[in-house]
Amino acid sequence: MDEWKPNPAIKPHKKRSWYLAWKYKLMNQRALRKLCQTGAVLFLLVTVIVNIKLILDTRRAAYEEEEESAQDYDDEMLNVEVPRHPVSNKKVLDVEVYSSRSKVYVAVDGTTVLEDEAREQGRGIHVIVLNQATGHVMAKRVFDTYSPHEDEAMVLFLNMVARGRILIFTIKDEGSFHLKDTAKNVLKSLGSQVAPFLSWRDMWTFVGKKGGEVYGEKHAKSPALSTWGDPVLLKTEVHLTSVEDAECHWPDTELNRRRKRFCSKVEGYGSVCSCKDPTPIEFNPDPLKDNEVFDVPVAVIAGNRPNYLYRMLRSLLSAQGVNPQMITVFIDGYYEEPMDVVELFGLSGIQHTPISIKNARVSQHYKASLTATFNLFPDAKFAVVLEEDLDISVDFFSFLSQSIHLLEEDESLYCISAWNDQGYEHTAEDPSLLYRVETMPGLGWVLRKSLYKDELEPKWPTPEKLWDWDMWMRMPEQRKGRECIIPDISRSYHFGIVGLNMNGYFHEAYFKKHKFNTVPNVQLKNVESLRKDAYETEIHRLLGEAEVLDHSKNPCEDSFVPDTEGRVYVMFIRMEQEADFTTWTQLAKCLHIWDLDVRGNHKGLWRLFRKKNHFLVVGVPASPYSSKKPTSVTPIYMEPPAKEEGAVAVPAVAAAEQT
Amino acid sequence: MQKINKNAVLALLSLTSLVFLLFQLYYYKFYLSQKNGAVFSKVRGSQSGQDSTRWHVVRKFLGLLSSHNIPVYLIDPLILGLVDKDFEQIRSSPDSPSPECRYFCAPRDFTTFALLDKTWKHEVGLFRTAEKMGFQWLKIINKDPRLDGMDDLSGIEIPLHYIFKLASHAIHLVVFYERSGNYLWHGPLRLKQHMDRKFVPFRKLHFGRYPGAYEKPELLLVSIDDLKVQIPKNPSSFLEEMSHSRFLECRYREARAFFQLYPDDASLDAVEFRKKAKSLLHLAALTLNNLGVKFWLSSGTCLGWYRQCNVIPHSKDVDLGVFIRDYKADIIPAFQKAGLPLKHKFGKVEDSLELSFQGEDDVKLDIFFFYEEDDHIWNGGTQAKSGKKFKYLFPKFTLCWTEFVELKVHVPCETLQYVEANYGPDWKVPVKTWDWKSSPSNVQYNGVWPVDEWDDVIQIY
Repeated sequence: MDEWKPNPAIKPHKKRSWYLAWKYKLMNQRALRKLCQTGAVLFLLVTVIVNIKLILDTRRAAYEEEEESAQDYDDEMLNVEVPRHPVSNKKVLDVEVYSSRSKVYVAVDGTTVLEDEAREQGRGIHVIVLNQATGHVMAKRVFDTYSPHEDEAMVLFLNMVARGRILIFTIKDEGSFHLKDTAKNVLKSLGSQVAPFLSWRDMWTFVGKKGGEVYGEKHAKSPALSTWGDPVLLKTEVHLTSVEDAECHWPDTELNRRRKRFCSKVEGYGSVCSCKDPTPIEFNPDPLKDNEVFDVPVAVIAGNRPNYLYRMLRSLLSAQGVNPQMITVFIDGYYEEPMDVVELFGLSGIQHTPISIKNARVSQHYKASLTATFNLFPDAKFAVVLEEDLDISVDFFSFLSQSIHLLEEDESLYCISAWNDQGYEHTAEDPSLLYRVETMPGLGWVLRKSLYKDELEPKWPTPEKLWDWDMWMRMPEQRKGRECIIPDISRSYHFGIVGLNMNGYFHEAYFKKHKFNTVPNVQLKNVESLRKDAYETEIHRLLGEAEVLDHSKNPCEDSFVPDTEGRVYVMFIRMEQEADFTTWTQLAKCLHIWDLDVRGNHKGLWRLFRKKNHFLVVGVPASPYSSKKPTSVTPIYMEPPAKEEGAVAVPAVAAAEQT
Repeated sequence: MQKINKNAVLALLSLTSLVFLLFQLYYYKFYLSQKNGAVFSKVRGSQSGQDSTRWHVVRKFLGLLSSHNIPVYLIDPLILGLVDKDFEQIRSSPDSPSPECRYFCAPRDFTTFALLDKTWKHEVGLFRTAEKMGFQWLKIINKDPRLDGMDDLSGIEIPLHYIFKLASHAIHLVVFYERSGNYLWHGPLRLKQHMDRKFVPFRKLHFGRYPGAYEKPELLLVSIDDLKVQIPKNPSSFLEEMSHSRFLECRYREARAFFQLYPDDASLDAVEFRKKAKSLLHLAALTLNNLGVKFWLSSGTCLGWYRQCNVIPHSKDVDLGVFIRDYKADIIPAFQKAGLPLKHKFGKVEDSLELSFQGEDDVKLDIFFFYEEDDHIWNGGTQAKSGKKFKYLFPKFTLCWTEFVELKVHVPCETLQYVEANYGPDWKVPVKTWDWKSSPSNVQYNGVWPVDEWDDVIQIY
């Protein structure tokens, strides 16, 4: 190796001579050299040819392979791809807004996004929220500001809308009568010149960006009290912003991706879409120890009340021991927004083509949902059934976990329900107490699979029968004398104000004051004594220790029950036979509890609380507990009201059942 | 001049070969990353580098899943077949290091694993990690069959298959769903239009040509080639089950159309009969399965399944078919033990055997035994009072699984031919009066039993 080193000491001449010597040497072996050269050439040529062949071979092999590989596995049905509208790069939206006495409409780029010309409907201020980047409708609301309190709801809604969204307002018929200054100021702050001066039967349209520019406003004054302002038509242009500007910059996580998808589609959910510090969409409540209901599927029955569903799912997912994988939301109809809410929370949702109308539609939706639930979870012995307008108590699953074995073991049970029909603020007291009742309360309940599959499903009311599913389930043919277990303090809260059989007045009267448990981890105390026979022993013990109240007093008066705490009292009312609820209904009425039909009874006995004392009501002589009545006591009889009132009550009963 | 030429040629050739060498390297690399191993191994044959690639891919994949806490088990028929041969040894020494790679290095294109749907959450995180590890993946989703039977429910589509590809090897992950009837189901693999048909050689997959039904397997944790993996506790019976696992979904859409034309009987009687028929079928299935007798839905029960996905309410019995080679003398005592006394027995094992058992309240269970000939299959009938014999001919058929009244049962795979043979081309029209001697379109008069045999071949209780 040394010779190869360039040595500065050696003269060039010497180097050259070495080269010549080498060359000479090789020349001498000319034959060998030639052979080597030819060999090299040949070798290289062969390499080239082999390589080319290899390439061609693999190509062809791969090609043939691919050709035959997938044929069998083609989807037979050709996917009919819905032709997608080309994403328009248009930066300007044409918006048309019409306001008049009997009709309103809003058109965006020629597409009608709102049209309401129904009679006797849709009165008030219609609000539409558009995405400022895409122009999509994110929310549609109508606030009947002719009626009280609706303006407050509108303010609430407008405050929840994110900055930068495009807001469109239009009035149908009348929208100013109960539009108070607060609401007018909010409209003014959005840039409306007219809002502060809106008056009786004025027509008004307004398009503006929240926290930004105004795109147009038109107004027609009503000339006289008895007439309406002239129809107004506002045509304007809205400039779209870029998508980046319309979105928040949350950290890129799976949760935030869901949030982003949701927030770019819909509006009106407040802080969940706030750019700074958005409210969480994953809750991770404490797990339950020995959770017996972890594997029980939960079916959430929903319609098109996405805001309710949102509230409901929040409370459900915050309940201790919840297992989100077992939750399925069943949406009655192809509504997008409820599905968006379901996806926001990462749950699975199933849409159901509406069958039939009104009550029957609800009933068919229930059937489909229950069947689907047991199909999806074939291992399940039970299913929890919830509705979209319920708040779920933090210890809902704990309550079920402690009691569900009863439903499995006690054949005389029909369901476990989280709802006590008679559990109002003033009549429920003990979160650890359970009852057996002959009525089926619904509103958050557990259904046994065998009951559904063997008895209910095959006989379920068909679509042409306009029956309420829950009324049907309460019928003796179905219930067959079985009972439900309920808590004293409800584990669900019915907050729905709009619904098939629901209105604000009705809700205020019967649901608002309902007691709702907020204490976590309540240890139920009398679970074993809820079995069929044990419960009778328990009742006899209770009646044995109960003090008989003074039957000469008026049971409606507060003074009927002494000012004590923690005692057990009993009263006796007249109840000629099993179905005689005359006195009970009157008593329920004056106690301000559920009086529209009979609920919460067990063999002619009702259990509730008054002034923090356990208060028992026994119907004599129909109840088997009548024997506990001292002979000296005459059962109280209360007169039913005049016929007229009774007649009014009948439709109310029907209306009360399903909500 | 000559010298220069030679040098130039030499240089040129060296250059060309260098270029080719580079090209070869590039091509090799391209193959490893882009093309599947099938093509590669086909051309190059098996070589040790390839073998260890498979092992490495499997190891990486198992690592990926365990990092996400997703339990899978091995269902690859090839490897399970190899494992089955050395099963005793593998089971007895779960932790001993293996001297050589004998299973996961075996030449193949895929390794197949199963995943129970309910044991994992469909998480995006898995795929992100997979991508980071270098896997390419494909997800095949389709309609949820558990909701298919229901009117107008549109659920979300569910994942049926996943394919993870790394280097020259691919992992096929089959998702199993639990269904009513206490069994596991996997879906067919169907590519949607936009999918990459060349992602892997789909034809070579062991699962996915048809949907399949399986019992819930018991699993065993073993160490194979130094990899901890769950396998079915009994690999050979799993492989046997796999070969007959094809599943047929009920034709729910046609059934709905049928009920549009002929509304369902919702009377109390119909509800009651269905309930009884269902429980009788459950009891019969339990009894026959315990005996290991393979059976299928036959006659009216099969028609009910095929036409309306339900028991036909005006049929008065439950009909099952059994191949005569599966006949066991224990059948009669077993049914009697289950509370179903023998009502009558016609024929004998060699000819036209038919058993009837008395279920609850007049619901009868008929078991027809089928005799296989070269080109057809038949079962027999006997008229008690005259001793006349009848023969019902069917084209040859194989058995498939299906789900019926919350039960995993067999039906003939070629159901249409079977039903048409029995009920003729008008099987779609419900018929309330049915004479088993004359109505079936495949009935043949088959002589009369010799009078001296009557006591044996016509037994009525």
